[in-house]
Amino acid sequence: MTAVEKSPVPTAISVRDLNFYYGANHALRNISIDFPQGQVTGMIGPSGCGKSTLLRVLNRMYDLYPGQRATGEVIFDGCNILGPRVNLNVLRARVGMVFQKPTPFPMSIYDNIAFGVRLHERLDRAAMDARVEDVLRRVALWPEVRDRLRDSAGALSGGQQQRLCIARTIATRPEVVLLDEPTSALDPVSTARIEELLDELKADFTIAIVTHNLQQAARCADQVAFFYMGEVVEVDSADRMFTAPREKRTQDYITGRFG
Amino acid sequence: MDRSATSPSTLTGGARGNGDAIFTTIVRSAAILILLGLGGMVVVMAWGARGAFATFGPGFVLGTAWNPVTQHFGAAAPVFGTLVTALLAIMLAVPLAFGIAVWLTEIAPARIAGTIGTLIQLLAAVPSIIFGMWGFAVLVPFMAHYVEPLASHTLGRVPGIGVMFRGAPYGTGFLTGGMILAVMVTPFISAVMRDVFLSMPAVLKESAYGLGMTRWEVVRRIILPWSRSSVVGGVMLGLGRALGETMAITFVIGNANHIGWSLFSPGNTIASLIALEFPESAVGSLKFSSLMAAGFLLMLISLGTLVCSRLLLRTGRVG
Repeated sequence: MTAVEKSPVPTAISVRDLNFYYGANHALRNISIDFPQGQVTGMIGPSGCGKSTLLRVLNRMYDLYPGQRATGEVIFDGCNILGPRVNLNVLRARVGMVFQKPTPFPMSIYDNIAFGVRLHERLDRAAMDARVEDVLRRVALWPEVRDRLRDSAGALSGGQQQRLCIARTIATRPEVVLLDEPTSALDPVSTARIEELLDELKADFTIAIVTHNLQQAARCADQVAFFYMGEVVEVDSADRMFTAPREKRTQDYITGRFG
Repeated sequence: MDRSATSPSTLTGGARGNGDAIFTTIVRSAAILILLGLGGMVVVMAWGARGAFATFGPGFVLGTAWNPVTQHFGAAAPVFGTLVTALLAIMLAVPLAFGIAVWLTEIAPARIAGTIGTLIQLLAAVPSIIFGMWGFAVLVPFMAHYVEPLASHTLGRVPGIGVMFRGAPYGTGFLTGGMILAVMVTPFISAVMRDVFLSMPAVLKESAYGLGMTRWEVVRRIILPWSRSSVVGGVMLGLGRALGETMAITFVIGNANHIGWSLFSPGNTIASLIALEFPESAVGSLKFSSLMAAGFLLMLISLGTLVCSRLLLRTGRVG
């Protein structure tokens, strides 16, 4: 092995001693976890264990709701994003998010993508067309929609809408992409396509994906974190997590004894 | 024991079945009764108006005279006043209601939003006569002493629109009437807007924020397009209220049979014309019939507006 291969992958986001509260409800307890750059981190655990909550901390989505607060540190690009002076619009452009259900905007397919780009960049017509085509090709949606870019995005199927939402998210060229159970509302074929997509996307983006599907985590993730009752029980490579977990609770969960 | 008469397993007849049939008949009658009432009202108005329409023909709608001495009646001035005050009210109320609705749904903390939202709804419960008294005692002098002189010295000098802001500052008139109506319809419009904004899926808003949009961008580019037709429906609902409002506007409109560009000049609306003149017109006279005809026109305008708003509210959900 060469020295280069042994050197650890740089960290995109580093979470330290994070605590999160929904009002009086203490939802995350002393979470510390690193998200390695250019890798897929899968987050698994039973419902209500805090994995989606952690995702919503990473782009400060919780800020929209009064009474939700976080303490601790989340270091992204050398800066604690929990700090008061963070520009949330820039943060959310650099840490993009895809939701459980497809959420196309009430506009055309083309505008769904161009709209987010226009918020942050000034592109001329040709460059914008190229950007739209590029991201649609990357999510393998281009052949299906190239002739109807001006049609409403609401007319697409669920799987197509979700790929459009992924395209929309990566069109603003974020560094990190957060996915909150992105395939749970999709059929198996659409799910497989999105899983393939994750593999290609991690060349350019750091990916954090919450999933209830353990096979999906095993297939897609480089690193897996097991959450239980608001704590991170175990973080390890996907191979070791699913073959030789260190913790009994992890073993119980992945063998289906609870959850 | 004869089981067939009392057994619950009997499939036909029985007292419970009859009770339900009676209940169905009662509730159906209630619904039919109100429809008959509406239909009857339209018929009575049209029948009462036949004298005026027979005498003046379609010219009744366009005629500007309202002269009991010469027995010439035309509805143009009150129709004009009705439309102008209602449109003014909408132009003033819509931005206000929109601001209230956005603040309540997007920005205000939940606890405060609930309280303020209720208080704004209370405004809709204030009887219109109270608005009329307030308008006459407070708003009219305020307009006459401050707003209208100031407006005629500034806006009055702008070419084009200036003509709307010139004239003697009576205090009463189209502008004051429009302002009173605006205060009265704002709670309705903001309530509809708030409900529409609240019915928007949170995850759609979150994905908009997730792309790095500011609050204004989310409101402008996502919430408004998504709720456009419902918002328009709510505005039409407010317009319907403004068109039919009587007491408050009677106090501040000036009650002059007048059509003109100046928003400061006194005018009249159909509702206030009827409120003032109906009690002192003889049944069966031409004036009586003309007032019925004016009322018929008002009913057509209001019903048309309400039908439009219903249609828009029904098609209000888009993907």
